[in-house]
Amino acid sequence: MKKPLRLTVNGETRDFPVEPYYSLLDALRDELHLTGTKKGCDEGDCGACTVLMDGVPVTSCLVLAHSAHDTQVRTIEGLAGEGLADSRGLHPVQQAFVTYGGLQCGFCTPGLVMSAVGLLQDNPDPSLDDVKYAIGGNLCRCTGYSKVIESIMAAAQEMRNNNG
Amino acid sequence: MARFEYLEARTLRQAISLLQRHGDEARIVAGSTDFLVRWRAGVWQPKYVVNIGRIASMGRVSYSRRLGLRLGALVTLGGLETHPQVRRNYPALSAAASSFAGVQVRNLATVGGNICNASPAGDTLPALLAFDAQCKIAGPEGERWVALNEFFTGPGQTVLRPGEILTEVRLPPPLPNSGSLYIKHSPRGAMDIATLGVASVISLEDSGRVCRNVRIGLGAVAPTPIRASAAESILWGREVTPELIRSAAEAARAEAKPINDVRGSAEHRLEMVEVLTQRTLERALGMARGNQMTFETQRELAVQAVF
Amino acid sequence: MPENIALGKSLPRVDAMEKITGKATYASDVYLPGMLMCKLLTSTESHARIVRLDVSQAEALPGVRAVITGKDYPDVRFGSGALKDRRIMATDEVFYIGEPVAAVAADDEITAREAVELIEVEYQPLPVVVDPLQAIRDDAVPVHEDLESFEGYGFAGGGNNCTLLDADRGDVVQAFKDADHTFEETYQSQPINQGFLEPMACVAELEPNGRLTVWASTQGPYQVRAQLALVLDIPVSRIKVIAMELGGGFGAKLRLALEAFPAMLAMKSGRPVKLINTREEAFTLNGPRLETNIRLKTGVMNDGRIVAREAYSIFDVGAYLGAGPNSGVGHALGPYRIPNFKLRSYGVYTNKIYVGSYRASGVADMTFAVESHMDSVAHQLGIDPFEFRSINAVEEGDISVSGARLPKNGLRETMQALKERLGLPKIMGEDRGVGIALGEWRSGSGPSTASISVNDDGTISMLTGSVDISGSDTSMAQIAAETLGITLDQVVVPKRDTDMAPFTGPSGGSRIVYSQGKAVQLAAEDARDKLMALASDRLGVPPAALVCEKGKIYVQDNTPQQVTLAQLASMSLTSPQGPIVGTASLSSMPYAPVFNAQAAEVLVDRETGRVKVTRFVQAQDVGVAINPMSVIGQLEGGAVQGIGRALSEELQIDPETGRVLNPSLATYLMPLAVDMPEIETILINVPTDDGPFGARAVAEPPGFGPPAAIANAIYDAIGVRIKELPFTAERVLAAIKGQEPKAGFIDIEALLGGESPQE
Repeated sequence: MKKPLRLTVNGETRDFPVEPYYSLLDALRDELHLTGTKKGCDEGDCGACTVLMDGVPVTSCLVLAHSAHDTQVRTIEGLAGEGLADSRGLHPVQQAFVTYGGLQCGFCTPGLVMSAVGLLQDNPDPSLDDVKYAIGGNLCRCTGYSKVIESIMAAAQEMRNNNG
Repeated sequence: MARFEYLEARTLRQAISLLQRHGDEARIVAGSTDFLVRWRAGVWQPKYVVNIGRIASMGRVSYSRRLGLRLGALVTLGGLETHPQVRRNYPALSAAASSFAGVQVRNLATVGGNICNASPAGDTLPALLAFDAQCKIAGPEGERWVALNEFFTGPGQTVLRPGEILTEVRLPPPLPNSGSLYIKHSPRGAMDIATLGVASVISLEDSGRVCRNVRIGLGAVAPTPIRASAAESILWGREVTPELIRSAAEAARAEAKPINDVRGSAEHRLEMVEVLTQRTLERALGMARGNQMTFETQRELAVQAVF
Repeated sequence: MPENIALGKSLPRVDAMEKITGKATYASDVYLPGMLMCKLLTSTESHARIVRLDVSQAEALPGVRAVITGKDYPDVRFGSGALKDRRIMATDEVFYIGEPVAAVAADDEITAREAVELIEVEYQPLPVVVDPLQAIRDDAVPVHEDLESFEGYGFAGGGNNCTLLDADRGDVVQAFKDADHTFEETYQSQPINQGFLEPMACVAELEPNGRLTVWASTQGPYQVRAQLALVLDIPVSRIKVIAMELGGGFGAKLRLALEAFPAMLAMKSGRPVKLINTREEAFTLNGPRLETNIRLKTGVMNDGRIVAREAYSIFDVGAYLGAGPNSGVGHALGPYRIPNFKLRSYGVYTNKIYVGSYRASGVADMTFAVESHMDSVAHQLGIDPFEFRSINAVEEGDISVSGARLPKNGLRETMQALKERLGLPKIMGEDRGVGIALGEWRSGSGPSTASISVNDDGTISMLTGSVDISGSDTSMAQIAAETLGITLDQVVVPKRDTDMAPFTGPSGGSRIVYSQGKAVQLAAEDARDKLMALASDRLGVPPAALVCEKGKIYVQDNTPQQVTLAQLASMSLTSPQGPIVGTASLSSMPYAPVFNAQAAEVLVDRETGRVKVTRFVQAQDVGVAINPMSVIGQLEGGAVQGIGRALSEELQIDPETGRVLNPSLATYLMPLAVDMPEIETILINVPTDDGPFGARAVAEPPGFGPPAAIANAIYDAIGVRIKELPFTAERVLAAIKGQEPKAGFIDIEALLGGESPQE
């Protein structure tokens, strides 16, 4: 039986009914129709479902939706600014992935981007190893990771430049 | 698939009383990194899920030179990985935590969950054993302490009685001149369940030659994580030489009772117990003699192939 | 010479914005009003008769709207090729653990799962064969008793052989007699999964007019349409397949897979139905690759020339022939000139999940064997492995296995580039080694169509039936843009479906840029010719005196005398020819080989057996790189897939039951960022005569070489040759100790009961 859940998602507080056995991922996709976060395995092994929960990257397929009540959740949809037609609305990590070829099929991309955003929040000047370990829980089958790492390092540089 | 009701406990007392009321039909979750997977697989089918993850008193870390480390059971693996006092004083534990799964799962998984899951391969367990962890348990009858070494009774089985909850883990303060290292043997540098894991903690007398104290924790080579006590006795109070370390490693191999599974054969695990016991002891010894290792080096040695 | 406007530029993908913001719609992102969720019941037996199947309790569960079994489908067999050996859902008999037996559509997923649990099945077990080397024998337990009655079956040697391919040239018997040395080795490659991140998903809806709309996760919408028509016994024209954004396919999604289940449930319930594979089903329901056993025999002269090759390859295909063993013939020589050969490639049924394609199925298996063998022979002859390859490498003008003349190509250039970058020959440090492997492929062909319409504002819309699996939409758009002299952002690439775009072959097999891209180029040229003709009328000069560039057509050396594409588009509405549409259609393209050279440097831990790839370098002849960033991305991704195949990936199969023991990303180990070296990629440019702007295919070859390159590097490091994949710690340690590998020596003649029947 569905019970009410309150989440603040991408800055907007939502109250909506959710089944007790739903994961946070299911709640985001099926109830809030935020389908940008992907279900790659539903077992916490691929990272495609990564979102930021109270600021830290988590695999949302493992989180019981109700256990996330009153948390702040940030998904891929919450990164870009208004006006998506204008690429200046993209978060620097998103822009870097586009410019440097960090995405191909795009399925792992939202999760990867959120892991990268989580990293750069805490560590604005990461080493290559820092980046590799930060995305160690994100599987990508298309890119082989080289351009992903390049994109994240470029985004880090850009963000450091922006902050003076 | 059994549908269930979600309940939340705000205090320890509430949690215990919910467990008492619902008995077998209830299961605790904290980080819930295992629950949904096992529920979907039909392995865990409770009628009530009791979330204890919001009990504030269980989420703290504190350290003092006198009392050592106090970890609330809800401290995450990510917390263990990054907390400066853990890195400084129990480096093998923070490295072991960093070898577990990936960042996202570490931000959710709790040390209490890792312990109560009682997987023979649990990554923090060999290190916690080697650091002499003590477990504080709260239940309907009150509180009790159990050494981690006596906490596991079988794969996935612990001494917890109905209604009991693990609330805290304590590690004694590190001895002078000590060093520690955890090595995880697995195909990849992240995400894998250990094929086997070895953690060694050693401290020397002030001369830097004689072993004052040694503990060796072995993971995934027995029905539970174990201490290699015979190996330890070879080193206790003796001058530590390469030959002695080799003997200790051989003894550790003799104590291991691994099985064949998808991750490896028993024979391979036996061989690796000897190799990794030797390596962890050698490196821990180096640290005890003053060769400092950064967290990054510890992590690298813990997970990356090839020495 | 004007600078290129789009060609050769690393422009961002045309679909980047929707993917990076999470707005791209994959099949599992489709939500329709009234949509039901589908769950499958699959076989728990390896081979059995279905004695009883009772779905009544499932049907009675509140929230369940329809239940289907194999009997709901027309009595039709289909196949991936000519051999029609498969039913879409089991009727009387199941052939592998995981085979679909029934399907439920319910209001939500949990109800569907509960309903599946209420279905009662009773099986009567039948004899099982799991080992392909047993299954190939004449006296083996039959997987398909009625094999000989299957449409498309050609006699292939008895046992569970379902297909046999062969190729011969010269006189191998004599050549082996004349050879100075003969070497014989057996290699084995492992069952492996494509590992796409997006589990297959499909939504199907029956429209009021009786047409079926299918939103699919597929590389081959027209192929799915055709096979759906066959298994549902409805006309092709009543089906529309919309290929959604694809989260990786790599060959797994080329053909009908699970679409028929939601389709039939939609027809039965009258509501849209969605099926999303679990990750476990991605391992047990979808066609992976199974093991291949390869025996190679090579005759060489003292000067290093190879004079004879005999190869027997046994491909385990599982329960149905989901993909053929073509590479056992096509790739048993490698990129080498071998005048005498006898090649045999067998496809053998076993009671396991049926195989599919994976980035040039079987070629990686063969390349592992051939390129490891080349190194082994070189070492035994005392010749440097690079030099040995150099002595024997094919040249332009040589005749390939299939009889095609080899056109100009970049094989030598890739070898030279690799040699220079690595500094070969090279002595590495203790426990370190370097190993190389050469790869060969061909640029894909097959039916391809394109149409280019000029919009009112002078932009163009490019319509093709292909699916973007590798950045191909962007590359094709760049081809169109370059041809018409406009920028990439002026090319509209619509989302399309099988109703609106003309027929095209599947998106795979390295077909898209070479073949489909060629169609785009021809269609763009057609459009350009029509624009030029119109401009010529307007400006009063012959077309030959005009230049089409930067969105306008102007008189050469007199730029002010011009007309924009937008103006021409407007004019065309009242011109005799009408609105401008350029079209092209082709069914085959000339042979355009693709060669690459790859190398791995490794460090081996002799005590733990773990292998670390410390450096990976590859050079590939791409002809012309339409979009270098995209091309390099494909090459890097393919190489890492190959490294995974070499070091950690293995579908573990129960030897008694054929069950997949590790159907999970926790136990099927794909490469992670923490373990991969930087991939160094060198692009070699030997343009083709026929590809668009000289481009060749790109995407498949990078996955071929890594296992052999790493095997050869391990040999260089510690003097041990490993002939089975993957190189797990245990396997490496066993090899160091000199223990016999599982593969051992395959007595082919004994297995086949004497000489092969073709003799």
